[in-house]
Amino acid sequence: MIEITLVVNGDRRSLRVEARRLLADVLREEFDLAGVHIGCAQGSCGCCTVHVDGVPRLSCLTFAVQCDGKSVRTVEDIGGPAAEHALQQAFRRAHALQCGYCTPGFIMTLAPFVEAMATENRLPDENEIRDAMSGNICRCTGYQGIVEAVRQAIAERIGTGAPA
Amino acid sequence: MRPAPFAYHRATSLEHALALLAEHGEDGRPLAGGQSLVAMMNLRLARPRHLVDINDLPLEGIEQVGDVIRIGALVRHERYLRDDLVARYFPVIREGVACIGHPTIRRNGTTGGSLSHADPSAELPLLARLHDATIVAASLRGTRRIASADFFRGAYETALEPGEMLTHVEFTLPNSRPFGAFLEMSERRGDFAIAAVAVVMEEEAGTIRKIAIACSGASQIPIRAPGLEAALAGQSVTALAVAGSAIDAFTATLAPPGDIVATSDHRRRLIAALLARALASAGERTREGR
Ligand SMILES: Cc1cc2nc3c(=O)[nH]c(=O)nc-3n(C[C@H](O)[C@H](O)[C@H](O)COP(=O)(O)OP(=O)(O)OC[C@H]3O[C@@H](n4cnc5c(N)ncnc54)[C@H](O)[C@@H]3O)c2cc1C
Ligand code: FES
Ligand code: FES
Repeated sequence: MIEITLVVNGDRRSLRVEARRLLADVLREEFDLAGVHIGCAQGSCGCCTVHVDGVPRLSCLTFAVQCDGKSVRTVEDIGGPAAEHALQQAFRRAHALQCGYCTPGFIMTLAPFVEAMATENRLPDENEIRDAMSGNICRCTGYQGIVEAVRQAIAERIGTGAPA
Repeated sequence: MRPAPFAYHRATSLEHALALLAEHGEDGRPLAGGQSLVAMMNLRLARPRHLVDINDLPLEGIEQVGDVIRIGALVRHERYLRDDLVARYFPVIREGVACIGHPTIRRNGTTGGSLSHADPSAELPLLARLHDATIVAASLRGTRRIASADFFRGAYETALEPGEMLTHVEFTLPNSRPFGAFLEMSERRGDFAIAAVAVVMEEEAGTIRKIAIACSGASQIPIRAPGLEAALAGQSVTALAVAGSAIDAFTATLAPPGDIVATSDHRRRLIAALLARALASAGERTREGR
């Protein structure tokens, strides 16, 4: 067992973990963050994406011990309990989710992309949006709504169009 | 499934990492981006007893040293896409790295991890072979320089020995502005390639002065196409658009592995088609100066 300190969604906590515990499991089991979904545990589906020190990372390919002293952010924190982040709201409007299993992963993967595009003040084309989300798998939506939600969230942030 | 138990060590310096790797030998493994290793551990295809986390080592630079650019083992894939030296001197590397996985994978996976993992369809091993890169490896015994031609031994098999780790890879700078192309076919956007080809050349007054051609999917390791290179070197760049019979002569020598994704014959024909397109595209870019 190794003693580590994690700052998860702003809360600092020390805990003892086995080296082999995946960050995804520790977030779900020790921090009760059920928004961290584990679809494949192989890096293929993107469902478990969280931010480690601000950077998207697959929590199924990360050991909790690697994150000692680091800050971790999950979907629970990104838009608060009411899911108020611009991207979450756009997901609702554009019917970008059905069962919702993949949604936290898509939000955590794409929120920084929306920010990056807003900083560049640029509305990406559909191809670029599909590239940005290519690491995430959704079984339900056919992706069209997700592409639209991302487009709307960026358009809203750069002020080039009212959301549909 | 979850990984088998192991001991975790966080290396604080290269010397520390090498001491840990020497101590644990066959039982120890470096942990870099974890994008391949942890996936294999989750499947219990890998069960290392000791992991040496090398992420704190100062191996994250891309720098010009004399006539090479030296790339640290911890340079993340994404970094190539916004590096000026790479953009200027190694356009084909840039194009190839853009095909690695997905954004999150590119942001976390490392150069050293990809080369050491030696997946037969990975892009960086192919690009290293294309450019005759030199792999620099360190152990407590000292530093070793390994030609990429000798580095890849088989699928997931390299010349690295227990206790040794890759610290850098070096690419020799071209004499003049290079032109080239990287093309691959995969089942889905961002997936590993079924086959990939890469061409890089330097020209002078419309003549091919130097050309290298490499492909993956043809064998368990990335290979060069020496016969095809010889057939094209010294020719006019217009020959690139009509290399059909030289390509056929090369692909006829290949016995690609067949698997659930593609039969051997399909891979052979795919490589021929990709080569024709990549050579034509390299020729076009040369003439248009882009
Ligand atoms: C969904 C998905 C899609 C992917 N698609 C692609 C793709 O299209 N193309 C592609 O090329 N790759 C792809 N990858 C793999 C990715 O590029 C990996 O990041 C890379 O292969 C390994 O790098 P890493 O830093 O993550 O290494 P790790 O996973 O940490 O390590 C891999 C292996 O290399 C060893 N190692 C690591 N660093 C060193 C070192 N410095 N010296 C010696 N040994 C070392 C480890 O011990 C281990 O055996 C994909 C991965 C995933 C999960
Ligand atoms: S659970 Fe991590 S990528 Fe699928
Ligand atoms: S909404 Fe069901 S998996 Fe994406």
